[in-house]
Formats: sequence, structure tokens, C-alpha cells
Amino acid sequence: MKYLLISLLFIAGCSTTVPVTQKFPNATPELMKKCEDLKKIEGDKVAITEMMKVIVHNYSLYWECSAKVDGWQDWYNAQKKIYDSIAK
Amino acid sequence: MWILSILPEAAIHTIFGLGILGTIAGFVLGFIPFVKAYKLAIQVISLLVLVLGVYLEGGLADYKEWELRVKEMEAKVAQAEAKSANTNVEIQEKIVTKTKVIREKGRDIIQYIDKEVIKKEEVIKYIENCPVPKEFIDIHNQAAELNKAAEAKK
Repeated sequence: MKYLLISLLFIAGCSTTVPVTQKFPNATPELMKKCEDLKKIEGDKVAITEMMKVIVHNYSLYWECSAKVDGWQDWYNAQKKIYDSIAK
Repeated sequence: MWILSILPEAAIHTIFGLGILGTIAGFVLGFIPFVKAYKLAIQVISLLVLVLGVYLEGGLADYKEWELRVKEMEAKVAQAEAKSANTNVEIQEKIVTKTKVIREKGRDIIQYIDKEVIKKEEVIKYIENCPVPKEFIDIHNQAAELNKAAEAKK
């Protein structure tokens, strides 16, 4: 009993940690969508205009995907700024 | 200090108060017959209780300061989470608008090919006389599937 009281007294100063956890921010749903596959030209005998349409379609897909990459960069920079503001 | 979570705040103040009272009694009120009889014991015990009381009071003050900091941090985190959600909404709107514009422009160009370009005489002649060589189509299709080549190498 004596030793128990002495050891209790010694560990009385031990600290307890109070964790304040920050939830990892959710990504914007639009950013989570995968980039679409590029369109292929179908058929053996294809008019130049049909080929042009596929190329234009693929350019659109590229720029859509590029917008997503830009979005991810914006998202990261904004979230980092917010995260850093907590640590200050 | 974990002991502070078990011990009520009032108990800490009581220990400290008893320590002070005991010390006063032991050192100042020696003329009282009862105190005079147990003077040394009262002095030793009350000093020990006073030391414990001071220690616990110090711990309590520190604990309260930390508690305040935790609350401040929690408020900051809540604010940051709200800000983060707002940022997500802004980015979502920006991407949706950008994607919509890109799709519409792409559709406009394709419609222009279908409605205008295809009607031009020189284009009609070109389509009739020069079909796209199969090699060109194959090269285009291979390029369109470059990602699959990269995935296969994984």
C-alpha cells in the first residue's frame, strides 16, 4: 500500500495528451472523375472531315482533363494555405 | 497531469487550503494547548500537505491553460474545415463552368464542320478524291491509346 501511494505520487505529474485532429479535406467531386479515353477513328475509308471531328473531340477531352489538373493544383494550394493558417 | 482528471477541482483547493491552515496553526498558533501538544506533527504534516497543494494548484493552472489552448485549436480547426468546404465548392463551380465551355466550344466546331465545311466545293472534291490513308488512321488510333501501352508496362 505504501509503495502504491509513493508510485502514484511519482506518476501524478505525468501528462495526458489531448489530441486535436484535423479531418483530411475532401476532394472536389468533379476532380475525382477520371479523364475520358481519347476517341479512335472507326473504319478503313474515312473522310478527312470525319477525321477532323475525332481530332476536335480529342482536343476537347484534352482541355477538359487539363482543367481537372489545374483544379487539383488550385485545390492543393488552397488547402495547404488553410492548413498552414492553423499551425500559425 | 492525469491525476487532475480524477481529482475534483474543489479537492485540490481544499488540500491547498488545509496546507495553509495547518502551517499557520503549526507555526503561529502554538499557544493553543491542543496545537502545542502536537506541534511537530502538525508542522510536518501541514507542510507536506501544503507542498502537495502547491504542486496540484500549479498543475491545475497548467492544465487549464492547456485546455484553453485545445479549445482555441478546436475552434481554428472547425473554421479551417468550413473554409476548406467553401474552397471545394468554389473549385467545383470553376471546373464545371470550364468543362461546360470546353464541351460547348468543341461541339460548336464539330457542328461547323458538319454544317459549313462539308458544303464547301473544294472540301467536297477533296473528300471524293482523297480518302484518309489507313496508315494515318492507324497512327492516330495508336496515339489515342498511348495510355494503354503505359498501363501494360506496369
